[in-house]
Amino acid sequence: MKKDSLETFGITLPELRSIVAEGLKGGNWCDLYFEQTVYNDLLLRDGAVASGGFHFDYGCGVRVLAGEKTGYAYSESTDLPSLYAAARAAASISGTPGAVCVTPPSPVPASLYPMAQDWAEVDKKALAAWLEKLEQAIRARESRTLKVIAMLSWSTDEVLMFNSLDQLTSDFRPLGNVTVTCIFADGGKTEQRNVSRSYRCGSEMFDDTLIAELAEEAVCGLDDSFAARRPKGGKMPVVMAAGASGILLHEAMGHAFEADFNRKGQSVFSDRMGRRICPAGINIIDDGTIPSCRGSIRYDDEGVPGQKTYMVRDGVLTSYLHDRISAGFYGVEPTGNGRRESFRYNPIPRMRTTYMENGSDGTLQDLIASVRKGIYVDKFANGEVKIGEGDFTFYVNRGYLIENGRLTMPVKDINIIGNGPRALADIQAVAGDLQIDNGTWTCGKEQSVAVSCGIPSVLIGGLTVGGE
Amino acid sequence: MITTEEIRLAQESLRFALDSGADAVRITLTKSTEDIVATLDGAVDKVTRCADRSMNIALFAGGRYGAFSINKLDEATLQDFIIRAIDTVRMLAPDSFRRLPDAARCCKTAINGKEMGIYDDAYASVTPEDRIARALAASVRNGIPGRAGNDGTVSAGNDGTVSAGNDGTASAGNDGIVSEEGEYSDSEYDTYVIDSQGLECRHSETSFDYGVEVTIQDSKGDRYSDYWWTASPFLSGFDAMECGKIAVERARAQVGAKPARSGKYNMVVSTEAASKLVSPLLNALNAYSIQQGNSFLAGTLGQKVFSEGLTIMDEPGRIGESGSKLFDGEGVACFNQPVIEGGVIKRYSVNTYMSGKMQIEPTVEDVLRARVAPWPYEGLDRDKLMGICGNGILVTDFNGGNCNMTTGDFSYGISGQLFRNGVAVRPVSEMLITGNFRDLWQHLIATGSDARKCSTRLVPSLAFEGVDFSG
Repeated sequence: MKKDSLETFGITLPELRSIVAEGLKGGNWCDLYFEQTVYNDLLLRDGAVASGGFHFDYGCGVRVLAGEKTGYAYSESTDLPSLYAAARAAASISGTPGAVCVTPPSPVPASLYPMAQDWAEVDKKALAAWLEKLEQAIRARESRTLKVIAMLSWSTDEVLMFNSLDQLTSDFRPLGNVTVTCIFADGGKTEQRNVSRSYRCGSEMFDDTLIAELAEEAVCGLDDSFAARRPKGGKMPVVMAAGASGILLHEAMGHAFEADFNRKGQSVFSDRMGRRICPAGINIIDDGTIPSCRGSIRYDDEGVPGQKTYMVRDGVLTSYLHDRISAGFYGVEPTGNGRRESFRYNPIPRMRTTYMENGSDGTLQDLIASVRKGIYVDKFANGEVKIGEGDFTFYVNRGYLIENGRLTMPVKDINIIGNGPRALADIQAVAGDLQIDNGTWTCGKEQSVAVSCGIPSVLIGGLTVGGE
Repeated sequence: MITTEEIRLAQESLRFALDSGADAVRITLTKSTEDIVATLDGAVDKVTRCADRSMNIALFAGGRYGAFSINKLDEATLQDFIIRAIDTVRMLAPDSFRRLPDAARCCKTAINGKEMGIYDDAYASVTPEDRIARALAASVRNGIPGRAGNDGTVSAGNDGTVSAGNDGTASAGNDGIVSEEGEYSDSEYDTYVIDSQGLECRHSETSFDYGVEVTIQDSKGDRYSDYWWTASPFLSGFDAMECGKIAVERARAQVGAKPARSGKYNMVVSTEAASKLVSPLLNALNAYSIQQGNSFLAGTLGQKVFSEGLTIMDEPGRIGESGSKLFDGEGVACFNQPVIEGGVIKRYSVNTYMSGKMQIEPTVEDVLRARVAPWPYEGLDRDKLMGICGNGILVTDFNGGNCNMTTGDFSYGISGQLFRNGVAVRPVSEMLITGNFRDLWQHLIATGSDARKCSTRLVPSLAFEGVDFSG
């Protein structure tokens, strides 16, 4: 792979060393990130796949570190004069050397991206037919289907990384996605459903099983959605379904555990390392090693192997999520969280797949049965967090009121707001039904990167629910 | 700026695509440079040099359509790319509504790219040293004893204002500031569009920007963050010196924030946050949303839907102002027009494709530069709106949330101030507003005249009655 990648980018090892040497004139660390991305898409709208295309992106980013200070520049050409110019621009940061985490050579991690059918050999006509079959499956299940808009996209990302420790790393990252928006009409009412899947694998992901899954998810509980109303708002217990509720961990805790926010004193968890932040028995993890998962990375974008990182063990904050800069600052090993959107961006600490391990408080039904008056939420859209305060929100597409331990009125289109540290401390029960959600989650902290999330069903004592 | 050689490449690529079997082609060439200097606690933390260019190709062949882009702009690579692109287009389903816009509707006045007067020739004279000086000068930590040194480390000063231990924890000093992150940038964007019907137009602009986020800590150890920013197309009109001070004031105003009691309140939304309440309206008026049944404003053209106080103009033709442009993404000429006037829907955003599909007249593909007009009279600002409302909640920031585009139902997190008799009495946070956009805008009390000119979407402070708050 290394040899192939050098050829892809038309560069040799001596040339890599020479460019890094140019960068080191301005700091104590220099790394190069070559990337070639080919992105394809097909769009089904109004019953036909009549739109599509592909997009080619190519270039190299040069980063120079002078302690914690960063110089960054990139070139969309990998000819030597352009790369030297980028190295000189990055070296302009020049400053006092400081700690940068250096890692010894590590064993090559196993591939996390199984590809039974290579994207390079994909039959686009077959994929277009798959989209048409998906629409037919949805319409066959639900006569109230007004529109189906489905986009199938796939990308391959070839990267080559080289740094001032003479470490050369390469990776080939496939990603397949399908997103479906359905509009249903019943009388004068309309309902929208969004479903998606994303995997780091080959085109084999687009099979009949996935069609059945997506079609079922698109129409399931539709009668309740048409009947759903806004609840009366206020603070109440919230039972969160397994899977996509993991957005709670991502927004409310994960971002605040990213080490750059803590290094700068901005995070609400900046002074809580080693302290209890939630009830005993709770483990919260950020994992880059789940095969074929959207959030997985064989190497991060600094050449550090992907890892499984316990952020919270038995209720105690045990690790932030580090890139090389923050790892050097804190004097710890990097955790493989240095990620970037593309060669146009310098890496920063980012999540991968963030989830909570199973608890021992029974089943989802047990959690619901324990609530006298509250809300159960099972479908989520976007979320957001204010790092300093720790206030987070997430948007609920679908849920139900809980009255006397039973699900009653369906609810939808409500926002839920809470405070990360307080919500963590207020987790009252965790079921044993962990699910990782394989939707097209994308985190937008400064740059967009693919992530995933998961959680078992949990009960939180009090969150503020929007309503009338 | 786009070079003569790059223009030749674009023109040659267009000819090659036609010779290779395309029936019609549009090529959009974009090029930009941006330099960024980021500061942390008054010292340079990061310098970034960005230089991008891309060729976007819209191909029409055999009644079919595809969109492609590439940033490797040498002739051989481009020709191979175009051949593969045409092959891809040919495997797609035919779509009779895909075509270039009527040539008569296209822009003919964007010749040299500088007609809108938002390209500052002074951009070329900015040096790396200038950028660093501007970034450092704007820092609120500048001049405070004990601020971060040139090596980026944070150490305690004689008055103990700032300190950082080896454990990486930073604690607030007498000024209460634990962290200040600033970012100065200047940039140049250049766009060149041609099509096979003879369209040729260009748009060039520069921008000078500064943004800052400040985190403070109160006596209980609770942290509060807030931000401020400014921007200008012109170096001479660019002044970032107040940004840090405003960000600190905004953060301090949040100290001790807690939810207010749930209920219906008058709501004033400060101009810096108000765009959040306008974007869903503009999205719902886009023909793509309407045609797909995904708009709560479908079928409302010509109808009075909102309060008579709501007038939204699309004003891309304001010379010398951020966001102005003579043409849209298809090269169609843009003019100042009402989108909503006196609460009546006046214009959908309809591109050529949607015009054919929906059998309605095309307009422009999007609202390029929205401006909400003052109502009921000029001269109102946030404080005056609070005075008009008497009691209510001032929203200074939104935190997450969403809008269901098929129904207009929304729910957003907010923070701001509870006010009584027109005066802020205490900060509020961890609250939600919930409602429906058609209903919300029917309950408009007034709109201000205080939109920030540095924004490309000019939305002033807004006042509404009877909004549901949950806390």
